[in-house]
Amino acid sequence: MDPQLLISGVIFGLSMASVYFLMSIGLSLCFGLMRIISLDQLLYYSVGAYLAYTVSVVSGNVWLGVLAGVVVSGMTALVVERFIFRRIYERELTFSMITSFGILIGGVGVIKAIWGVVPRPVRMPTPDLVTIFGTEVPVYRLMVVGIAALVYIGIWLFLNKTIIGKAIRAGIEDVEHVEGLGINVSRLFTITFVIAGALSGLAGGLHAPLIMVDPQMGLEVLAFVFMVVIIGGLGSIKGTLVSSLIVGQVVSIGSLIYAPLALMAPFAIMLLILLVKPTGLYGSTMVKK
Amino acid sequence: MAEQSLVVRGLNVAYGESKVLFDIDFDVAPNQIVCCVGRNGAGKTTLLKSIAGFLKPSSGAATAGGVNLIGHRPYDVARMGVKYVPQDKKVFSDLTVRENLELGSYATKDYNWDRVMEYFPKLKILLDRKAGFLSGGERQMLMIGRATLGNPKVMLIDEPTEGLAPSIVTHLKYVFGELSKSAALVIVEQNLPLVCGIAHKVYAMRDGRIVAELPGGAALTPAACEPYL
Repeated sequence: MDPQLLISGVIFGLSMASVYFLMSIGLSLCFGLMRIISLDQLLYYSVGAYLAYTVSVVSGNVWLGVLAGVVVSGMTALVVERFIFRRIYERELTFSMITSFGILIGGVGVIKAIWGVVPRPVRMPTPDLVTIFGTEVPVYRLMVVGIAALVYIGIWLFLNKTIIGKAIRAGIEDVEHVEGLGINVSRLFTITFVIAGALSGLAGGLHAPLIMVDPQMGLEVLAFVFMVVIIGGLGSIKGTLVSSLIVGQVVSIGSLIYAPLALMAPFAIMLLILLVKPTGLYGSTMVKK
Repeated sequence: MAEQSLVVRGLNVAYGESKVLFDIDFDVAPNQIVCCVGRNGAGKTTLLKSIAGFLKPSSGAATAGGVNLIGHRPYDVARMGVKYVPQDKKVFSDLTVRENLELGSYATKDYNWDRVMEYFPKLKILLDRKAGFLSGGERQMLMIGRATLGNPKVMLIDEPTEGLAPSIVTHLKYVFGELSKSAALVIVEQNLPLVCGIAHKVYAMRDGRIVAELPGGAALTPAACEPYL
C-alpha cells in the first residue's frame, strides 16, 4: 500500500475514532450507572450537528455552532432524563432500549420538520493542511482528534478527582450501595445523562464539517457506536477509547484495502472479541438490578 | 419512658404476590444492641432492607427517633441517621479505601475520620489500597467504618461476622460495644456466642415472623437461641 495513502488513512481513522469515542462514552456511562441503553444519544449527535450548521450559517463561526450544539444537546438530554427516563429506570433493560429508540425516531421527525430532508453542508472551520511524513492532512481532522483526547483527559479527571465522579464510579459498581451511604443517586443519574448528551452533541458538531448533515445521520452511525460500546465493554471509559481506536482504524484502513471491508470488518472484529471475551475488552459482568 | 431509637409496627413486606414479612413489631432503645437470629430465608435481611428503604413495605410503620422512615428513598433514610451495612461485604472495589471513606464523608458531610481510625487502625495503612484487594475482614471494617461517619443514631448491620477469622470477630465485638455508646444497633447474626456476648435483646425470626423475644444478659445462652436456627 502507498505509504502516503496509509498515513492519510490512519489520520482519517483517528478522526473517525474520535467521533465514535465521543458518542459511545455517553452510551457506555449510561449503561454502566443507570443500566439503560440510551439510543437517544444518537439524536443528540444529530442535534449537535444541526446546531453547528445553523449557528455557523447565521454567525459564520463553526466553533460557535459546535458550542451551541453541546449546550442544546445537553439541555435536550436534561429534559428527556427528567420527563422520561426518570420514570423508567426501574424497568427492564429492553424497556429503556425501546423507549430511547422511540425518542430517537420521534426526534428525527422533529429534525425533518425543522430543517427538512435535504442534506446540509457545514463549512470546515479551517481549510489548512499540514504535512505529516510527506502526506498532506487536514488540520481540522487533527483538531477533532485533539479535542477528543482533551475530553478523555477531562472525563478521566472528573471521574477520578472529583467526589461526584467517584460517586459515579462507585455507582457503576453498585448503585444501591451508593444510595445506602446517603447519596442522592437520581442526581448522579441526571448529571451523567446530561454529560452524555452534551458529548454526543459535541460529536455531532465536530463531525458535521466532515460529512453532510442529514436527519438520518444518527441512525447511520448506530451500528458503529454499538460495536464500539460492545467491544470496549459496557460501562468502561478506557474500553470505549480503545475500541473506538480499533473500529476507527478498521473502518478507515479496511476501506483502503477493499471498500466493503469498511462495513464488514468491524463486525468480524466484534464477533472475534466476543468469542474470546464475552464482556468486551474492559467490561465487567454487570447485570440489570 | 424514653423515646425509642427504632420502632417497627405491623410491618408487612411482599415480593410481588409472595408475602415474606408478617406483622413485624419490634423496638430498639437508645444505645441498645438488638440481634435478629433465624434460619436462612426467615426474613432477617428483608426486615433490615425494608427499614433502610430498599424495599417498600405493603403496610406497617417504622420510625427512628419518632421520624417516619417508610416511603422514603434509601438515601433519605441514611440521611435521617439510619445506616444499613449489607451482608455481602461489597465495597467499591475500583475505589481506594480513602475514596470509599470520602464517599461516606460526602454523603454525611462528616469529614472527621478519627473515630473510624480509632476503631479500625488497620484502615490507616490501607488508605491508598484499592478496596477490591482487601480481605473479607478488612472489607467489613471499611463498611462499618464508613457507616459510622455522620454519627448515625441507628445502625442496621447484616451478618457482619460471616466468614471472618475469630480474631476479627473478637475485634468487631469490641467495636459494636463502642458503637452502642452513641447509637442503637440492630444486628442480624448467626454467630450465637457473639450474639449472647453483645445483645441486650434478641428477636428470633421464622418464616417471616418474629416468633420469640429473648432478653439479653446472663440468661441468654447459645442453647436458648439454637431452637430458632
